[in-house]
Amino acid sequence: MMKKNKDKNTQTRVIFADTVGKQYADIDTMTDSRDDETLFDRDDSILVDVRGVSMKYRMPSEKIDSLKEYCIKLVQGKLHYKTFEALKEINLQVRRGESLALIGRNGAGKSTLLRIIAGIIEPTSGYVRTRGNMVPLLKLGAGFDYNATGKENVFLNGAMLGFSRKEMLKKYDSIVEFAELGDFMNVPLKNYSAGMMSKLGFAIAVDVNPDLLLIDEILSVGDAVFQKKCAKKIDELRANGTTFIVVSHSLGQINRLCQKAIYIKNGSIVDFGTAAEISAKYTADCAAAEKALEAVQKAQAELAEANKK
Amino acid sequence: MNNNYKIKIKSKANALQFRKSLVVLGSMVKKNIKNQYRRSVLGIFWTVLNPLLNMLVMWFVFDKIFGRTSSDLFYPVYILSGTITFNFMRGATTQSLPCMVYNYDLLTKTRVPYAVFPLSQNLSAMVNLGFSVIALIILMLACIPQGVQFHWTMLMMAVPWFPSLFLFSLGMSFALCSVYVRFRDIKHFYDVFLTLWMYATPIFYSLSSLKLGPTAGMIMKLNPMLYYVQYVRELLMGTVPSWQTHAICYGVGILSFLIGFTIFRLSRKKFILYI
Repeated sequence: MMKKNKDKNTQTRVIFADTVGKQYADIDTMTDSRDDETLFDRDDSILVDVRGVSMKYRMPSEKIDSLKEYCIKLVQGKLHYKTFEALKEINLQVRRGESLALIGRNGAGKSTLLRIIAGIIEPTSGYVRTRGNMVPLLKLGAGFDYNATGKENVFLNGAMLGFSRKEMLKKYDSIVEFAELGDFMNVPLKNYSAGMMSKLGFAIAVDVNPDLLLIDEILSVGDAVFQKKCAKKIDELRANGTTFIVVSHSLGQINRLCQKAIYIKNGSIVDFGTAAEISAKYTADCAAAEKALEAVQKAQAELAEANKK
Repeated sequence: MNNNYKIKIKSKANALQFRKSLVVLGSMVKKNIKNQYRRSVLGIFWTVLNPLLNMLVMWFVFDKIFGRTSSDLFYPVYILSGTITFNFMRGATTQSLPCMVYNYDLLTKTRVPYAVFPLSQNLSAMVNLGFSVIALIILMLACIPQGVQFHWTMLMMAVPWFPSLFLFSLGMSFALCSVYVRFRDIKHFYDVFLTLWMYATPIFYSLSSLKLGPTAGMIMKLNPMLYYVQYVRELLMGTVPSWQTHAICYGVGILSFLIGFTIFRLSRKKFILYI
């Protein structure tokens, strides 16, 4: 067992459980109070409480999306499913004002975890509690309407984030100014370039001043000038006490933005520590994986050559 | 303890979510309506013109080419009242059918409650129906010399009639959009089915003018749209429909809503997997 979180000075607490079935016993021994339900209530500084979250998908072995195919496969007896466990018993807590990065390779379950925290999907077991105004930024301009003008989209997108027209009207000028799209606001979105669209999406998103911002790979937007502006805005938000949970493959960004990080591998948290520590570990792991891949390729090449002879 | 706690948190979050959903719902309906007639010269007038022109075509075909069928109402009014009722249901359900898949981005990246999508399509269809009713009133005004009369019962279209129809089509929409996520070819089945359904509904003919056997007559009477169409025609003729008609319209509407919503609730969690 790794029990780094025993240290009460660590703000983000990650509860590890390597054996299934033992977790709940572990939670009790590891938390400050026996009754952890009330800890979240008592302690206002906990913004996110993820407890025993597992996510299982039942995947058909082939993608079947028509009734015809379904019936044929059913008759042929070829309807197979396999369960895929995207997340296994995740426990973690994030406190106000601190920022957490989720690090891991593609398909490790980072985005799934983020979506569960955002409340977009429900976990198979376990639950998530959050406090304060949370804004999930999993994609810039999700729900943009390409036929509508930029201006209409500001209001539409604002509504998606939970703001009425009146509230958005107050923010409108600063959004346009931030996005640098003053001349284009009355042009339909389909005539925008990809960069312009992301700039508009980002400008709307960061203008909402949330308590908790969930970010999934969206920080590399626009040209260098705009990126600098984004970084400044993010710093400003952080200074105002916004908490971040970030998924990113850019380790530089993570080190700049987050103090803490967790390393997710195949759906489980394998390590937890400061962002610098974990990103170093991740880099080392990636290098090892690369080496292993090279070794396999080399062996295969040798084998092929041997076969030729 | 654990469960109670979860319920408490859920209800709190739901109240907050509800206000957000209303804002999203409003802006989605507005977007749907705007997109329908974007870049057309006459714009929103098409919503009024469209049912009128359609009615003219039907009137021309069935009155002038095939010869007059007897109807209790003035024939153009008879056709138009049937078409707007059926077209509301048709529009709402066909638009709702792919709405989960079309809104993939919103579904997987934002926290919009799923029910907003079919609901917004139904509300857009409701607005369209409102414009169609304007077309109906224009037609009736134009036909006053032919003996068309206005009755106070027309006001009942707004309250007892429409909510039952809305429940019916909303239930259908919930069920259809859930199935569409899993099986995309349902769209082709449904298109064919709608054509059959339209011909099986007395829109341009009257049920009494058909010479049907007892079995065929029974089958025709199983069609729920028949009652919604009959209901609105009775109102236009100035009679208040019997309590049986009310019971059938609301019974079918509520049943459809409950079944559709249950299917929707049950398959909701799996949407994200199949989209």
